Amino acid sequence: MYRKFTAFYAKLLSWVLVASVAILIIPVSMQIFSRTIPLIPAYIWTEELARLMFVWSVMIGAMIGIREGTHFEVDVWPQMGPRPTAALKLVAGLFVMVFALVFVWWGWEFTWSARNRISELAELPLWMIHVAWPLAGVTWALFQGEHLYDHARVLMNAAPGSKS
Amino acid sequence: MTGAALTPGMASLLLFGVFFGLMFLRVPVAVALGLACLPALVIEDRLSPMTLVQETFNSYNSFILLAVPFFLLTANLMNVGGITDRLVRLSRDLVGHFPGGLAQVNVVLSIFFAGISGSSTADAASQSKLFIDAQRKEGYDDSFSVAITAVSAVLAVIIPPSILMIVWGGLLTVSIGGLFLAGIIPGLAIGLVQMATVHAYAKLRGYPTYPRATLAETVKALAVSVPALMTPVIIIGGKIFGWFTATESACIAVLYAGVLSIFVYREMNLKGLNSALLDTGKLAGIALFCVGTASAFGWLLAYYQIPKVLLSGVSGWGMGIIATGFFIAAVFLVVGCFLDAIPAIIIVGTILEPLTKIVGMDPIHFAMIGIVSLAFGLVTPPYGLCLMIACSIAGIPMRAALKDTFIMLLPMLAVLALVIVWPEFSLFLPRLFPPGTL
Repeated sequence: MYRKFTAFYAKLLSWVLVASVAILIIPVSMQIFSRTIPLIPAYIWTEELARLMFVWSVMIGAMIGIREGTHFEVDVWPQMGPRPTAALKLVAGLFVMVFALVFVWWGWEFTWSARNRISELAELPLWMIHVAWPLAGVTWALFQGEHLYDHARVLMNAAPGSKS
Repeated sequence: MTGAALTPGMASLLLFGVFFGLMFLRVPVAVALGLACLPALVIEDRLSPMTLVQETFNSYNSFILLAVPFFLLTANLMNVGGITDRLVRLSRDLVGHFPGGLAQVNVVLSIFFAGISGSSTADAASQSKLFIDAQRKEGYDDSFSVAITAVSAVLAVIIPPSILMIVWGGLLTVSIGGLFLAGIIPGLAIGLVQMATVHAYAKLRGYPTYPRATLAETVKALAVSVPALMTPVIIIGGKIFGWFTATESACIAVLYAGVLSIFVYREMNLKGLNSALLDTGKLAGIALFCVGTASAFGWLLAYYQIPKVLLSGVSGWGMGIIATGFFIAAVFLVVGCFLDAIPAIIIVGTILEPLTKIVGMDPIHFAMIGIVSLAFGLVTPPYGLCLMIACSIAGIPMRAALKDTFIMLLPMLAVLALVIVWPEFSLFLPRLFPPGTL
């Protein structure tokens, strides 16, 4: 059930990510061509809209990175057996979890502090951007929880490499 | 004084101690940087962990960094849209008959690629898939194939356009057009020494070579590639003539690659487009997330005035321009072993800048030393992204490729030394333009 949900959620995030990267191109192109082609209106908010989309695509990309375990890490350890590896991953994973919870707690404070503020140019409500942080925290915790469970099972000596 | 509870010494011990400790435990670098900020943020009355959130937000809320996903997307579009294939054919016709033909093609393709995309990680990812298996089949050693793919990928950030130049120029207010021009000659020189290295390896180990292409074939391959090869001209020209800003130039690169893929080479389909966009989003997400936490880390370093304390000793050494240059290169080479290039510019570039002002170093000269050193950091362990990517695609551990990587780095370091001792080497091209036009 939990796994089904995270799989579905990850799929959804991938779609949103594809869309947001694609949309990023539009405001920046408008900004360039409006200077030379009079037909394209020179809106002042293109730059701000691009930044908003950009912030969201970075945060979503980072969320997917947690699920896929692709955030870059430095590996100075020698090759180890499955259980010591699982133990090490469990410890590192717990720190990632702490970080996720920091994002949930103070990200929410950050969002709440901006509840009445609007952006300078496009006059969008600022919380629409800030809410990416608590959401990222919750998402990280969800995805990381799945990994922690897997590492714990390997450590408790379920057959190494088996997948539930 | 700042009225901080911690002295600069205690604070730096805490910040760097937690960062290295967590990194050792294999906590992702981005998370380690963020968590390292926490103790200080809790201890200081004036700060709160919300500062961490605020600083990451501030760093992503930047128009400059938008260049990163755009250049990644350009690279991905080149691959799915058939541009890369044309450039491979051209490279093969040009250098395939040299000893170690396929590895020479690998380097030359990186040079072409560098002129279109500004991202080394994108270059490493796509060329590893393209070359490592092919070189294995032709009898090249794995460690050699991985090493040459990784070291040639660093050209992408030295030859313009370059993400690092855009970030550097934006952060330290240096002319990005000037940086673009400054990178051309050192970049080509590094490409040449890499080809010479391949030549030496191929002679020693008897790597295969291709029959020489006929003139007609070469001309045909060149003609087909001309639209793709126009990209650097458009990007650099457009930047210098002020048609668009640096970030916008990255967007132009995307649009141009898209137009070529759809209308000229006609190999793009919806599935390819989708995967290009998704790959871009994923890689940009993990690469840039790290920039956010690194900015928070750098912000705290500045809060405790740690850079000032660190540099107060160094500026007393009375170094000249060249000595300072070597000092800067050494610092960036060491930092590059542990950090990605953009966070390193944010944290260290700003620390070193005052030092270069004291000795009167040209800002573009400083930038080139920094960028070339950091580019080399992309292949140095333990945190060398290009090498990590190439190793993981080849399926070999990083330590297996280290020896060949270091051998290939030696002639490249000689070029870096040339960049340091002979400022005109990089400043020659930008100086052709009258001051104020760049």
